[in-house]
Amino acid sequence: MENKIKEFKNLEKWQGTLASCIRCGYCFEHCPMFKHTGWESDAPRAKIITAFGLITGEVEPSESAADKMFSCFYCKRCEAACSSGVPLTEIFTDARKDLVEMGLEGPGTTSITKLNCARCLICVGACPHEARNYDGKGIATDPAKCQACGICLEVCPAGAAKIENNFGTGRDELIEKASNFLNTHESSKAIIFACNWSYFPELQASVLPDSETRDNNYEILVNMCGGRLEPYLLMAPFLHNAWGVMAAVCPDDDCQHNGNLRAKKIVETLRNTFKSIDIDPERIQLVQIPAGDKSLFQAEIDTFVDKLNNMGPIR
Amino acid sequence: MKPIDVTRLKEIVGERNVKTDPSDLYVYGSDSSVHHAMPWAIVKPETTQQVQEIMKYANGNGIPVIARGGGSGMCGQTVPIQGGIMLDMKAMNKILEINLKDVYCRVEPGVVDDDLNLALKQYGVFYPPTPASSRIATIGGEIANNASGVRSVKYGATRDAVLGMKVVLPNGDLVTLGSHTRVEASGYQLHKLIVGSEGTLGIVVEATLSFVPIPEFRCMGVANFDALKDAGEAIGSIMASGSIPSMLELVDSVAIKAVNKTMDLGLKEVAAALIFEADGMVKEAVDYEIDKMKKICEKHNGKDIHASYDPKERAKIFMGRKKLFPALSKYDDNLASTSLADDMAVPYSKMAELAGKVHEVADRHNIVMTAYGHCGSGCMHTKILMDTKRKDQWDAAKKAITEIYEYVRSVNGTTSAEHGIGLSKAESFKVEKADSLNLLAGIKKAFDPNNILNPGKLSQAPEDWVTATNLRYSVNS
Repeated sequence: MENKIKEFKNLEKWQGTLASCIRCGYCFEHCPMFKHTGWESDAPRAKIITAFGLITGEVEPSESAADKMFSCFYCKRCEAACSSGVPLTEIFTDARKDLVEMGLEGPGTTSITKLNCARCLICVGACPHEARNYDGKGIATDPAKCQACGICLEVCPAGAAKIENNFGTGRDELIEKASNFLNTHESSKAIIFACNWSYFPELQASVLPDSETRDNNYEILVNMCGGRLEPYLLMAPFLHNAWGVMAAVCPDDDCQHNGNLRAKKIVETLRNTFKSIDIDPERIQLVQIPAGDKSLFQAEIDTFVDKLNNMGPIR
Repeated sequence: MKPIDVTRLKEIVGERNVKTDPSDLYVYGSDSSVHHAMPWAIVKPETTQQVQEIMKYANGNGIPVIARGGGSGMCGQTVPIQGGIMLDMKAMNKILEINLKDVYCRVEPGVVDDDLNLALKQYGVFYPPTPASSRIATIGGEIANNASGVRSVKYGATRDAVLGMKVVLPNGDLVTLGSHTRVEASGYQLHKLIVGSEGTLGIVVEATLSFVPIPEFRCMGVANFDALKDAGEAIGSIMASGSIPSMLELVDSVAIKAVNKTMDLGLKEVAAALIFEADGMVKEAVDYEIDKMKKICEKHNGKDIHASYDPKERAKIFMGRKKLFPALSKYDDNLASTSLADDMAVPYSKMAELAGKVHEVADRHNIVMTAYGHCGSGCMHTKILMDTKRKDQWDAAKKAITEIYEYVRSVNGTTSAEHGIGLSKAESFKVEKADSLNLLAGIKKAFDPNNILNPGKLSQAPEDWVTATNLRYSVNS
């Protein structure tokens, strides 16, 4: 192999780092995209391999190669798991900058703005990554900066901010997963929405026999950042006879998108609504879990389910 | 490249389970080894029947098929050097049965090792081979490579745990090999032959595996040594003493530095350390084994010997060991960790000499090599840390591993203990097995007369991996 292409001026500095990635693949288990699609080419290692191929000229800077680079929720779990110390998301961002200059932008997970945008500019102010701006005609997203945290979706009053490729973490997909679980498990009681940092890796890519899962009374669904939790999503499981809903988010100072604080407000509002209609507000809870604290997360879930067992179903 | 009927493949597995975009093919062209080559298509079957149909199509058209699990192989087993269909088995990922009464489980090949153990844990049992890559390694991949790991010193390798399997042959036929029993003397036991065959004989679509009880007590110790030779001799003495450690690992100064840099484990930066563990259902028995190992370490000049039952402390050291391979890339910012001659095994009494040889050869060729591994099983890992852009470093690495393998063979060791041969180790493998290569070729022909299953691997692999296969690195001339 010889170096052929030198146009990746941002990416090129990572060539040594890309070689030091030993491609062990230990980043797979943490990646919500890989878990959703099951394709290795959607896993973090694939992006590193693609970045390397782009620099060496072995991968054409095509739309599909670019789409891989622009598909990432920046949860950074892969980075935390990498013992080779490869700063994956920094590399992805630099690859994005170069690809944008070549006119390649995804679509990936970049948030977009639909025509029904009222140009209220709320999303511009709310974006924690300064990715959204008003260009004189409408709201544009800088695809190199957007980290797909989804805060713009949550704050947009017109529903014009969208992420097209959610990899199983979009509102409708989550509602479908929740209702499937609640409707097919007799013992089902709770839905746990967890941001990818609070979530702990359970089964990565395997499926248990029915005999092992049919008595499950809760289901954990990864919604990426807690800032993407909407009242509609949190309430949807109750329409399918859930006894309770829990949201797991990062501790106050740990969220890279400030989405946890937004989630806290939403849950508090819903709890007040429950109170006003004589439903025990304890049926909807928010817990804050430091990244990787599996024991605490499991303990919170167990306590919540015990509490629901004492309350019984909503009548 | 032969023309490939993508439409037919899509008919078999569905549109969503076929990929042919060059950017996808490029990703699937490498694994955790140093090699790279492009497949022609990636196909993800979901059922045994689909695997059968794919094999029929491929066999009829002479198209190579390479089965792939987690892509964590370290010697290029899944790198398609003759192109062909990459059969991504990860969608066949169901744990089919956990049978506590008969002490076996049945799984599809795409089940991840750690996932299986998570499912078994609630019943107080575990599947023991567990390589360091168990978080992504699939059972199918582990069978293909006869994977083993830190606990294999006591519990054995994959071959010891496989009771039976269903296999799709190259012509599409489905055969059931082995049984659901602990022992079998009914003929050739072909299921044991499939283990370690690196995808060259058949496609495993279901495996029956045994499991063992999770011990009540586990105690892990660390002993430091000022000389690598002393640590190596302690290993030999422990194993010859009749001790049954559940883990006996060597880490040398290079490995200690890398792990400390990455995970801040606070290991003392000495010439070598031994990590030893005993487990069992009776604490006194575990204490007995640990005391015995401590005393042997002391006798061989081990220092600061400490052992603990504390699960947190054990987990920290265990995780450090599991992540050692990627951590080695942190040893020096300019050096990448490469897997070349990386898992030879020698008799216990030669362990110290091998560790010394690795460092001596590395010094002489001006490269950095590390010696660590599951030495209780006789297995030594020897990663080479080098500037992968420099051709002279590759040349030096090649010379170094040739010398090391010559030594390994001279003491009746073996080229690979647990990672397999793939492409990287073919040269030494062929020398080691020279007088049985014809037999191996005959077996291959009996299973795969058209040579479509993972061609160009094991005894068919090119001998000079540097020149004959593409390296995944960018090497300056």
